[in-house]
Amino acid sequence: MTGLSLALVLILPGLLTVALASPALRAAAWRLVPLAPMPALALALMTAPDSAPVLRSDWLILGTELGLDSVSRLFLAFTAVLWIAAGSAARHWMRDDPRAAAFGICFLMAMTGNLGLILARDAASFYAFFALMSFSSYGLVLHERSDKARSAARLYIGFVIAGELALFAGLALTAAQAGSLLLSDLRASAPDGLAALLLLAGFGVKLGLVPLHFWLPPAHGAAPVPASAVLSGAMIKAGLFGMIATLPLGVTAFDDLGPLVMSAGLVTIFAALLLGVQQTNPKAVLGYSSVSQMGIIALGLGAGLLAPEAWPAILPALVFLAAHHALAKGALFLGVGAVAAQPDGRGRWLMLVALALPALVLAGLPATSGALGKETLKTALAAGSAVWLPWLVVALTLSGIATTLLMARHLFLLARQSPPAPQAVAPEAIALPFLGLALGAVMLPALWPWLAGSAGAPLAQAGTGPLWPVAAGLAIALGAGLDAHARRIGPAVFAAQLLAPFRAARARLTRVVAVRQRALRRLSVQVPRQIAARTLEWRLAQTAILVLIALVMALHLASEPRASVIPDSPGTSGAVTEGNL
Amino acid sequence: MTESATLLILILLTSLGAAPVIFALPESAARLRTAINLTMATIKVALVGWLALEVGQGARHGLSFAILPGLEFRLQADPLAILFIALSAVLWLITTIYSVGYLERGPHRARFFGFFSLCVGATVGVALAGNLFTFLVFYELLTLATYPLVIHRGTAEALRAGRIYLIYTLAGGLVLLLGTLGLWVLAGTTDFVAGGIMADVAAAQPLAAQALFVVLILALGVKAALVPLHRWLPIAMVAPAPVSALLHAVAVVKAGAFGIIRVVFEVFGIETVRELGLTMPLAALAAVTILYGSVRAMTQDDIKKRLAYSTVSQVSYITLGVALAGPVAAVGALAHLIHQGLMKITMFMAAGNLAEALGVKRVSQMDGVGRALPGTMLAFSLAALAMIGLPPLAGFVSKWYLAQGGLAVGQDWVIPLLLGSSLLNALYFLPMLHRAWFRDAPEAEAPRPRIGWMLAAPPLVTAALVLAAGLMANAPFSPLEWTRFIVELEYRE
Repeated sequence: MTGLSLALVLILPGLLTVALASPALRAAAWRLVPLAPMPALALALMTAPDSAPVLRSDWLILGTELGLDSVSRLFLAFTAVLWIAAGSAARHWMRDDPRAAAFGICFLMAMTGNLGLILARDAASFYAFFALMSFSSYGLVLHERSDKARSAARLYIGFVIAGELALFAGLALTAAQAGSLLLSDLRASAPDGLAALLLLAGFGVKLGLVPLHFWLPPAHGAAPVPASAVLSGAMIKAGLFGMIATLPLGVTAFDDLGPLVMSAGLVTIFAALLLGVQQTNPKAVLGYSSVSQMGIIALGLGAGLLAPEAWPAILPALVFLAAHHALAKGALFLGVGAVAAQPDGRGRWLMLVALALPALVLAGLPATSGALGKETLKTALAAGSAVWLPWLVVALTLSGIATTLLMARHLFLLARQSPPAPQAVAPEAIALPFLGLALGAVMLPALWPWLAGSAGAPLAQAGTGPLWPVAAGLAIALGAGLDAHARRIGPAVFAAQLLAPFRAARARLTRVVAVRQRALRRLSVQVPRQIAARTLEWRLAQTAILVLIALVMALHLASEPRASVIPDSPGTSGAVTEGNL
Repeated sequence: MTESATLLILILLTSLGAAPVIFALPESAARLRTAINLTMATIKVALVGWLALEVGQGARHGLSFAILPGLEFRLQADPLAILFIALSAVLWLITTIYSVGYLERGPHRARFFGFFSLCVGATVGVALAGNLFTFLVFYELLTLATYPLVIHRGTAEALRAGRIYLIYTLAGGLVLLLGTLGLWVLAGTTDFVAGGIMADVAAAQPLAAQALFVVLILALGVKAALVPLHRWLPIAMVAPAPVSALLHAVAVVKAGAFGIIRVVFEVFGIETVRELGLTMPLAALAAVTILYGSVRAMTQDDIKKRLAYSTVSQVSYITLGVALAGPVAAVGALAHLIHQGLMKITMFMAAGNLAEALGVKRVSQMDGVGRALPGTMLAFSLAALAMIGLPPLAGFVSKWYLAQGGLAVGQDWVIPLLLGSSLLNALYFLPMLHRAWFRDAPEAEAPRPRIGWMLAAPPLVTAALVLAAGLMANAPFSPLEWTRFIVELEYRE
């Protein structure tokens, strides 16, 4: 039963590939493409965390074994989710593409390889699936046939071949030492330095570790949106998975390779930042961001190589970081398509705001999966080399700034000029998978304990992580944006622009003041005039009253003698009054 | 004569006996000729299957009669012979179908199929030969039978190629005759015996033994296309596609490689060769050939020429595995005898289809052919990826065993050699696949070309075998399992 479900994971995409090649079945097959990874997801979710289903066939290749364990289960889960999202986006993205069938075939073959290599438990079938995935992705990178896509594809296939050769040699050497093809025996046999180096190089190509990264940003930039989502989200993790599957991590200490990988990781994190912010293609910026993130993974890997005793703690952190990056980066890539597919400016801005979510998750906003993963890794690293620890912790913290800057650059480029989308694509057809993955990225810390079982425990104890790297990143991005703006338009104009608000305020103030002054002036004229007028009125009134009083007085005096009130002059005024009245 | 000897004779007769009948038939009796060809080829596959079952169970069939005192004509069916016969029987059937389709309206079909049967009959003889003398007889017959096939088209170029082919192979044959005489003189017999017959001679006269080894390898190296004796092979590719397919995959080139296997394992014995200090020079020669062939293949624009140089390179894997002198490498070498045959015949038939249906003969014309001939190009792609050594295809299994074999005997340089070869293979095969699948055809082409099933099916069948030989490498009766069985026997002695 479990064997059947393991086989079904591979059979369904395989059958769909064949169906897609036949013109009669093509339309129906495209409809099923998003469902092709469903058996894988179901298998990953329904397998109990500690059970290990195995399917063995001695006849196949050199004795094939497929199976699932607690680590590969998690890889299978997030890989399947990503392929489902990318598949549903691809179905619509490719609707009117003349080369849709070729894309679909390559897409499904790469999917088969990617899911298969997670299940593989022997070197031959692992190598087969890895090669299937790598070589069929050539068609995904090349798909658009533009000059950019052509040169990216050429670079890609060159690195793929080099990686495959290194893997062949590494696996051959390791298998010769182990005397077995089973990956578990390979891990236990402790390969010598050369074999381990070859394996590291072979998988390092896929992981994009500096200096093996040259292919990655152009390829992820050139591939159509759904393809770059899986390239950057799912397939890049095959490099990590391969290292975990083949190297004796936690068994043997590699005193040379550990520091080598850690140094490569350190360089990778920040070199990718420096290279990435110079890009003008938003998807290439995302590609560099992936490189930078894989640098973080390499820090953990290197620490594990150097100090096997720290590996049991590092491994869950790395798996969590891988799942976190898969979902967030998948969402970011699909988001590019979602922005591009929006018909109007309002929808675009909405999508851009939604895109800020996975971007912040990736940058490691406190309590998001990005921050939790890094904090868990920091805790795990404490059990490793004391010499390297401070450097690693600093690098992990600073990587938050790096990612924030790359994300800011990405969103800025996307906002300034949205990349082209196919004519026929319905806006919601891309937006839905994008939002789904973004939601997944945001919800990951909550889902993880349920998904990972005991492996999720260290995460629960991790701190929420600092805010300042993201804040610093944003501040630097803002400053850099202003600086760039100033450079673009020249200092004088910029100064003018900078002062413009003040000028405007002053002008407004001046106007207000002028109005007030005018009013005052008007007042200063009016008031005296009024006063003068009043005064005049008053004076007249006063005069009139005085005159009246004087008249009254005079009349009174004149009438005094006839007054009877006062004996000496009685009746004068009364007489007058009476006489006048 | 026992029942078992009858079986061997019957197998020989299915192809050798068919030849005179076919020669005798008039040119116009195409249906009858095809019927005879296919019946014989089918019977042969069945007989070989039966023989393989018996040999697998431990039976050893043989037959011999003396020509001169001490010089026997000797046939024997050991597991190594079965390996080669099985390859030639299966591929003969497939190639016959393909040839019938390919030469449908061409002239001189009676001549062609007659020599074709002779050629396959000679191959069977080479495989079944129980001593170097018998081997020599059939080896020469093979040369003579393939010459008319190479010059079949009768053009000036074909005649020139035939001449060069004849000069090289006849000279090689002559040297082989000398070697056989030398062996007879030194060892008193020319029998193929597991573990070799030269141990005593090598101890007594090491210099003579060394000289004899060099002579024999040089003689066989002509057909096995070891550098610098390879020049005839890329020139002989002017032959019709099915001939090239058979020449490169089964008959001529493999006869040389098979001869080298016989000489190293059953005339000298691998221990003796090692004691004579000759394994390393042979391995070095093979290594040089592997790289040289690939480098030359890269610059060829003619598809068949590119494939021919690739053959030069790939066949030397067999020699390399033998010369590494370890059981694991030997498994790789012997398995590659089959695997290379399957891969290369697929590619030549696909190249023939491209030329037939589209007139595409050059790599630079291959743009968009995947869309025009999807089945053929699918087969070609599988074979090419197998050549590069990608699992789960046949080529991976050979390369893996060669790598493991090299490491097992402490010859770590095999790994970089294999990597270099794989890289070169990728460099000259992947651009062809890129053109076929990822480029658009130059202009709106004529209505989709039709090729009959007799052309379309054979490369698909052999490509399926390439896949099966890799995917089911560990299954019973897979080429790999059979070679493990052989090597177990060789190294037990």
